[in-house]
Amino acid sequence: MKTNYLLSHKYKTTGWILFIIGLISGIFMVFSGFESDLLNTKVLSIFNYGILNNEEVKFFKIIDNSIVDEITALFIIIGGLIVGFSKEKIEDEFIYKLRTDSLVWAIIFNYLVLIFTIIFIYDMTFLNIMIFNMFTPLVFFVFRFNFLKHKAQNHDE
Amino acid sequence: MTNNLKVERAIHDLTQADLADKIGVSRQSINAMEKNKYVPSTVLALKIAKLFDKPVEAIFSLDEND
Repeated sequence: MKTNYLLSHKYKTTGWILFIIGLISGIFMVFSGFESDLLNTKVLSIFNYGILNNEEVKFFKIIDNSIVDEITALFIIIGGLIVGFSKEKIEDEFIYKLRTDSLVWAIIFNYLVLIFTIIFIYDMTFLNIMIFNMFTPLVFFVFRFNFLKHKAQNHDE
Repeated sequence: MTNNLKVERAIHDLTQADLADKIGVSRQSINAMEKNKYVPSTVLALKIAKLFDKPVEAIFSLDEND
């Protein structure tokens, strides 16, 4: 099966490590209320308008920021992409079909859940849902893909 | 689409893993095909037919849903 966007199988483990560390850190952040002073460092903010304290619009400013949340988000996204889009040990057209089916399933499921939350969840709680929603398409995809793979493996001859 | 992969496999005394190995696919693919859960591409169908030295129609056939 020739595909031009799949990574080599050897990246899979790295992907899983990043993805799992990211998820654990993410869950930890949810419970700690997304506030952290860890890894405070200077970062480049290319655009910022103070949403809470009505500050003026700023372009290209160096600001202080805890980068724990940024690292967590990047780990989940990059790890998830690597896990989902690196080749299996034996990559063939059936595995490829499982992958694309999982992607379709994940998108539909994600947006059904989002429709439900749009209708029934409001205010700041909805903003929290949006934070989850940054990752859920990828997370649902990775879990669905591995579930289908596992299911295909288990029915023996 | 239905197939008689399982029968052909028995005739040639091959396990799913053996067959998968010979045509370069995963064992899950063979399993899914035998259970009629997966319709192989033309390339894969031709490869299987070539391995068993039969025309594709002798192994794969249309069913009422196609």
